[in-house]
Amino acid sequence: MSTSSVEAVITEIASKILRKDVDLTTVNNFKELGADSLDIIQIIVKVEDRFDIELLEEDLQNIKGIKDFVAYVERRIAEKNSQ
Amino acid sequence: MSLAGKVALVTGGSRGIGKAISLKLASQGADVIINFLRRRSVAEATANEIRAKGVKVHLVKANVGEPEEIDRMFQEIEREFGRLDIFINNAASGVAKAALELDTRGWDWTMDINARAFLLCTQRAVKLMSKGGKVIAISSLGARLVWPAYSAVGVSKAALEALTRYLAIECAPLGITVNCVAPGAVESEALKLYAGDENLNKSVWQKTPAGRMVSPEDIANLVSFLCSEQASMIVGQVIVIDGGVTLAPINF
Repeated sequence: MSTSSVEAVITEIASKILRKDVDLTTVNNFKELGADSLDIIQIIVKVEDRFDIELLEEDLQNIKGIKDFVAYVERRIAEKNSQ
Repeated sequence: MSLAGKVALVTGGSRGIGKAISLKLASQGADVIINFLRRRSVAEATANEIRAKGVKVHLVKANVGEPEEIDRMFQEIEREFGRLDIFINNAASGVAKAALELDTRGWDWTMDINARAFLLCTQRAVKLMSKGGKVIAISSLGARLVWPAYSAVGVSKAALEALTRYLAIECAPLGITVNCVAPGAVESEALKLYAGDENLNKSVWQKTPAGRMVSPEDIANLVSFLCSEQASMIVGQVIVIDGGVTLAPINF
């Protein structure tokens, strides 16, 4: 799955959780979209489910923004596929 | 007390209190189904510890806050085991806010996982149980006491305890017991995360008449007893396990 399609899935998940259409390319982080900590954990859980991956707390703590998050998800998908 | 041949479901069974319960039931011979929300690698590590005890273990990833995921979990249990003997409602989550700051989403998230899931899971579990079935919910002293930022969880646990009584009376004629365990502050990762204070453990055990904090294994031992036939006349009770701290909140 390409990075752009990963971003599209995350956009779909974030839109559903935040109950509004969001454009991840226009913001730096989820908080700029009005997301609180509960929204973010729900987004993480749904992303894990959708891609059948595990996002590690120790890694998530170092994520700087949405681009970083998309790249991390992409990396975890690639790691899963290489196993 | 042997639980050989029994099938047990522990929600949130891969870490902390749930893990201790899963291991205890497995050590008594029960096959264990572990429900978990996120960390498959952690669940698999717990599953390996259980397998080493010579019983069957099955992992189910599901958010018990979502009814369709509960349905899917029980369909999987029915398909894999065909029945259930023990259901431990342990999975919990919550928003840490004062009551005056709590919004509807935080309330719903907490109530759905901590209280509604107990109702929906028990409704499905009972259909897979026969006489001798055991249902045990894990509550918290915060159902009755007031702690900072614990409003949503405390209220959800109070609902859990009330639900224990209603379910117990409806299930008793079926030969199924429903009870609840209410621990004090338990020495666990969850407490550290919630309190955000490494010194909290020390301050709690210093105030506990029994001289130490409650451990996950203490709770697992109580749950194990409630799963035994020796506890068959304990119906709809909330059993506090806190080392006496609520009886003597002030050090004498």
